[in-house]
Amino acid sequence: MSDDGGRDVEAPPIISVRELTVRARDRVILERVTLDIPDRDVTGIIGPSGCGKTTLIRTMNRMAERSGGLAISGSVRYRGQEIYAPEVNPVLVRQKIGMVFQRPVVFPMSIFDNVAFGPRLNGLDGDELEAIVLRSLERAGLLGEVGSDLDRPALELSGGQQQRLCIARALAVEPRVLLLDEPTASLDPIAAQRVEALLFELRREYAVVLVTHNLQQAARVATRTAFLYQGRLIEYDETKRLFETPREKLTENYVTGRFG
Amino acid sequence: MIRDRGAGPTALAADGAELAAVSPRLRHRLRLDGIVRWALLGAFAAVFFPLFDMIYWVSVRAVPKFTLATFTEYQVGNAGGLAAMIEGTFVLIGLATAFATSIGLIAGIYTAEYAPPAVARIGRLAGNVLAGIPAIVIGYFGYFLFALYTGWGYTTLGGALTLSVLMVPFVYRTADLAFSSVPASQREAALALGARRHQYLRRLAWPIALPTVLTGVFLAMAIGLGETAPLVYTAGWSNTPWTGLFSPTSFLTGAIWLFYEQPPTLGALLTLAFQAAFLLIVIVVALNLGLQWLADRYRRRLRGLGA
Amino acid sequence: MDRREPIPRPADGASTPTPVPALPNRRAANGEGRSRLRGWLASPVALLPLGLVALVAAVLLWESRLANLGPSFWGLNYFFDPSGGAPSVFGVSLFLVDSAIVAGPALALASGLSLAIAISTVVYLPPAPSRLLTLLTNLLAGIPSVVYGIWGYVVLAPYFGTTAQPTLRGFLGWLPGFGGPLSAGGVGSLLAIFILTIMVIPITAAVMRESLRNVPNDLVEAGLALGATPWEVVRRVRLRAARRGLWGAVFLGLGRAIGESVAVAMVIGASIQIPPNLYTPSTTLASFIFYQLDSAFFYPNLLTALTEFALVLLAVALVVNLLGQRASGADATVIVTGGGRG
Repeated sequence: MSDDGGRDVEAPPIISVRELTVRARDRVILERVTLDIPDRDVTGIIGPSGCGKTTLIRTMNRMAERSGGLAISGSVRYRGQEIYAPEVNPVLVRQKIGMVFQRPVVFPMSIFDNVAFGPRLNGLDGDELEAIVLRSLERAGLLGEVGSDLDRPALELSGGQQQRLCIARALAVEPRVLLLDEPTASLDPIAAQRVEALLFELRREYAVVLVTHNLQQAARVATRTAFLYQGRLIEYDETKRLFETPREKLTENYVTGRFG
Repeated sequence: MIRDRGAGPTALAADGAELAAVSPRLRHRLRLDGIVRWALLGAFAAVFFPLFDMIYWVSVRAVPKFTLATFTEYQVGNAGGLAAMIEGTFVLIGLATAFATSIGLIAGIYTAEYAPPAVARIGRLAGNVLAGIPAIVIGYFGYFLFALYTGWGYTTLGGALTLSVLMVPFVYRTADLAFSSVPASQREAALALGARRHQYLRRLAWPIALPTVLTGVFLAMAIGLGETAPLVYTAGWSNTPWTGLFSPTSFLTGAIWLFYEQPPTLGALLTLAFQAAFLLIVIVVALNLGLQWLADRYRRRLRGLGA
Repeated sequence: MDRREPIPRPADGASTPTPVPALPNRRAANGEGRSRLRGWLASPVALLPLGLVALVAAVLLWESRLANLGPSFWGLNYFFDPSGGAPSVFGVSLFLVDSAIVAGPALALASGLSLAIAISTVVYLPPAPSRLLTLLTNLLAGIPSVVYGIWGYVVLAPYFGTTAQPTLRGFLGWLPGFGGPLSAGGVGSLLAIFILTIMVIPITAAVMRESLRNVPNDLVEAGLALGATPWEVVRRVRLRAARRGLWGAVFLGLGRAIGESVAVAMVIGASIQIPPNLYTPSTTLASFIFYQLDSAFFYPNLLTALTEFALVLLAVALVVNLLGQRASGADATVIVTGGGRG
């Protein structure tokens, strides 16, 4: 297990995970995971299927507790504050820490209404709402493509556009962290590449956590990368170092494609 | 627009309270969520109040007066027991279940396994339509067909046949569902191994489908057991011991319908009605528990198949 | 492994619990000519339910002989003189209006409560209580209608006469339909509405529950991840996605409310009139043709009229049922069993 999380980070981490253990009824999904997520950067999380990487990011915005029967222990802090503290409401956590899923999940409504979903909950309307919707679409690089007609059903968009719409929708809530669970896994290579470029761009303003089973993707986008294996954090380091001179044998085997 | 996010220690200290800083708007939203939750649960609980009230009152009126005679004696005038109604109910439900199961099961299997998709679609639609026909309309149908056209008059057989029309769709739709739900892989594997269709059905599909089919049969029985309207003008009424398929018969629901307006002062009839109601509730509870048990069992089985 | 399937459209997810779409493939699996032939030969067997529907309709059509009962048939008047002295008037609309007066409010109440039940079970309750309460709701569905009837007539009616009706009039008497004379014994539309509401709830609740449950989890999580509260996810995501199934449930409940004869006959007071308010005894189409049939055996014209009434009821039920099936595409009858679902 590695405890070097946060070593090379000068600014305080935006999320710090300490000794996080998640148990299902009959097995341990995550075991004593400790790592820091830096602000305004892309952090990759890689590992074979079932290694717990999805569960790890789902604990970061308290989505994990939705899957019943999970026992979560340890600590997850957002800017120094425990997100599992009893007085903290998950709704607020999820406003600060947004999430995008593997398959683009657009609501069966118009493009505008999709992006406006979060801001509307917070009471925005009129010009303010429109401004934030346009800004979010712009940031997600979608405004140019769909700009003319925001009242179109979102389901008419292509898969890649839908995924970027989901990112725009998450950004419209004005989170500081964006968690992405294999966001390009269901996209064709060109659409995937556009999403990737977008994530790289977003790191200027957000902390981006990218779960992926595509090693090249992690290498291209992530500044730091964590390797999870069977619920344990094996290695967490600068991406370049992790891929080129891994310290652990397991990491080496994985990144060189000997298993996965 | 990029928000100002100072990275210095002061800024961090201020941020530390970020998750505690619940805006008035958010507080309102959370409160609304809580109110709605309790309102919905309250409405849910309110619905059960009548159920318990009914079970309570039926029990109060029925249970203290239960004797052995309630089950063994025949009602004569203002006295006697429910023997004829119990007998009649068993015969009617037994026959109707047999009819409905044979028709519904065969039609269901054919719909799931043999019928072309277009035909299957029409069959399913018709099954649902049949389930939606009001019981009293089926009653008129049964009266004309089984009491008048056949010249039988009021008979047990006519009552059971009428009742079965009402029960068929429940067996039919569950049988169809059961056989349609057998994992395609299993079926293809069997047919690829050279099994004939009927062999596949008997050896492979049937054991998998059985619990669901039974669910449908139980449900149909519960439906049939609770019906009054289709029986009053087909099975007629008779408070003497049951004599045969071509004689009229009484039944538990009929006792309630006939006696519910009797004043409590006038003999045992109103009590008999409540006792009939009590027995029906007990049987329905038993059937429901049976249904639940089957459904659980079925679910576990499906999981075992990885479906 | 990624399952690269198209995103399920929520409406579909909400409404197709049966694995029906698998069927065309299965047939294609052994597409020999002989099996095709056998398929068509098997069709009559698969269509047995259709045959039964047709038989029911045919017998009623034959018996009514579509006798022309004159323009008054669609009117609001009903008059039958057994002695045959005065000409009879059989107006079915009177009964349709009465049915609407009872079924409408009952359906509205039942739909609202069912939605509360469905949302509670799917969203707010933990699995174990949710299962127990679902079991109880199914039990409510299984109780015979005569049992509701006798409970309503013997236990509830006196209470309605002395307490419920005066109280309601006290609060809402200024509304049309809520003022005016009470019914002394308590029987009347109000009691019928109450009983029908309870009888309709388990059916609508079961179908609504399945519709809400079939909303793809992806959509729900997407809503939560945007910082929505559970209730906001219900209102803005679940209800939207399950809309079709929910309407299907309402239509199914309407069918039940309109078609119920026995329980209504026991508590409504059997009075052939358009009631001046909710308290007065009234009747409904289904209950009327139920309790009136035995009087009709010796009067062919009355029997014909009642049979035509039954035809009208059948037509209404068919329309409601088909609308419901169309709205939801759901296999409502089977859903109610709770069985057969993985």
